[in-house]
Amino acid sequence: MPRIFLTMKGIFALVDFFKNLIKEFSRVMLENNRFDFIVDGLKNTFLITLGSLVLGVLLGVIVAIVRSTYDKNHTQFKKRGGFGYYLIVFLDAICKLYLTVIRGTPVVVQLMIFYFIIFASSDNGVAVAIFAFGINSGAYVAEIFRSGIMAVDNGQFEAGRSLGLNYIQTMIHIVVPQMFKVVLPTLCNEFIVLLKETSVAGYVGVIDLTKAGNTIAGRTFSYFIPLITVAIIYLIVVIILTKLVGMLERRLRNSEH
Amino acid sequence: MNTNETLIKVEALEKAFEKVDVLKGVNIEIKKGEVVVIIGPSGCGKSTFLRTLNLLEEPTGGHIYFEGVDITDPKNNINIHRQKIGMVFQQFNLFPHMTILKNMTLAPMKLLKMPKAEAEAKAMALLDKVGLADRADAYPAQLSGGQKQRVAIVRALCMDPEVMLFDEPTSALDPEMVGEVLAVIKDLAASGMTMAIVTHEMGFAREVADRVIFIDEGVIAEEGTPADIFSNPKSTRLQDFLSKVL
Repeated sequence: MPRIFLTMKGIFALVDFFKNLIKEFSRVMLENNRFDFIVDGLKNTFLITLGSLVLGVLLGVIVAIVRSTYDKNHTQFKKRGGFGYYLIVFLDAICKLYLTVIRGTPVVVQLMIFYFIIFASSDNGVAVAIFAFGINSGAYVAEIFRSGIMAVDNGQFEAGRSLGLNYIQTMIHIVVPQMFKVVLPTLCNEFIVLLKETSVAGYVGVIDLTKAGNTIAGRTFSYFIPLITVAIIYLIVVIILTKLVGMLERRLRNSEH
Repeated sequence: MNTNETLIKVEALEKAFEKVDVLKGVNIEIKKGEVVVIIGPSGCGKSTFLRTLNLLEEPTGGHIYFEGVDITDPKNNINIHRQKIGMVFQQFNLFPHMTILKNMTLAPMKLLKMPKAEAEAKAMALLDKVGLADRADAYPAQLSGGQKQRVAIVRALCMDPEVMLFDEPTSALDPEMVGEVLAVIKDLAASGMTMAIVTHEMGFAREVADRVIFIDEGVIAEEGTPADIFSNPKSTRLQDFLSKVL
């Protein structure tokens, strides 16, 4: 049976490798405060992710309510006719168009259209990125919410209406809070996906985490250390978030209400 | 408490789902203070009939007058009328994300603009009546079926309704919990509340009803006092139904 002996020579080679790695890391990443790029980049990545998630959730709730209202009631609306019917048909058409366009085109293209065309006069890349990713994320969040609304028992809706609450009041006080509980884990996963998607923010001149790594690589002509560092940071953040989502899911499952 | 004032008047009520006619012309008047129990074979349309009374099911024909106002007319705001029509469901439909107290105070505070303290005092008084005052801060999932249904009843009562609709209120309960819910409904009947009750509990129907309606194949096939209906059924369909359930 072959055996592998860890010879003294081997140990020295390994120690040398790590020594060189640390030396290289400090040369590439730490000299001239280059690590500040990474810190600032991570800050921007979080800022864009959080900001666009908030915007996406707001948009998503509205679109989901319009879409599910139409889906559940359009035959009734049609029968009653009048202004309400045309309004809901119009709003639903707008929402469908939004979903189709946003989900049918790459996020990088959307981002560049926002930055170079729609907000060409603005040089606040982070704000434009929040806007673009928020509008993009809203389309995906809307479909998550819509399935959540559909998953809330119709009896809940009927109970609200039977007390005299109108459609909107029933949605706000009874259906949407329960919908959030259903979709919370999925929503957190969308947050994780969004975090990784923001790595293309560099296309519009924003120094996010990825762009920070790329900038350091460009300045030091060394790609290995900066890109691996960036990848490890993404990985650690995602692993932590995934763990948190797992804990949240368990708590939701166990909670009585 | 039976007066001659008509609270609900139903004229030629029809309801069709897709191509199935469920209700084919129901006419009935419910007077103030009257307890009307609706019985009939499953699928006969009795639940649908009850649910049309507050337009949870929109009728496809006919009229429903509540306090003299045609609520089937789209010009009338149904939300206002629903505030006066309490409803209790087979599946309780308590709001699981709110405490019992919040379940009860939501509608009075939002719709009647009742101050929080007043709404809570009222809810507590009603909870006390049904023996659940100590569960005010619990969530629905922590209650038994019978307790949930008692809460559902007092939640509807918080709006001071003119009439209460019960859609098979004991059908989803374990047998040992049926009694506690029926007791609450009986108390309510004794207090003079106008009620329309769909039920399979024939003993209860006989005891509590002023009038029993037998619905079969989408129409009122027979109606009368409990004594008429249960002891002296005229139509063969009612005789047939009673022989199966009694």
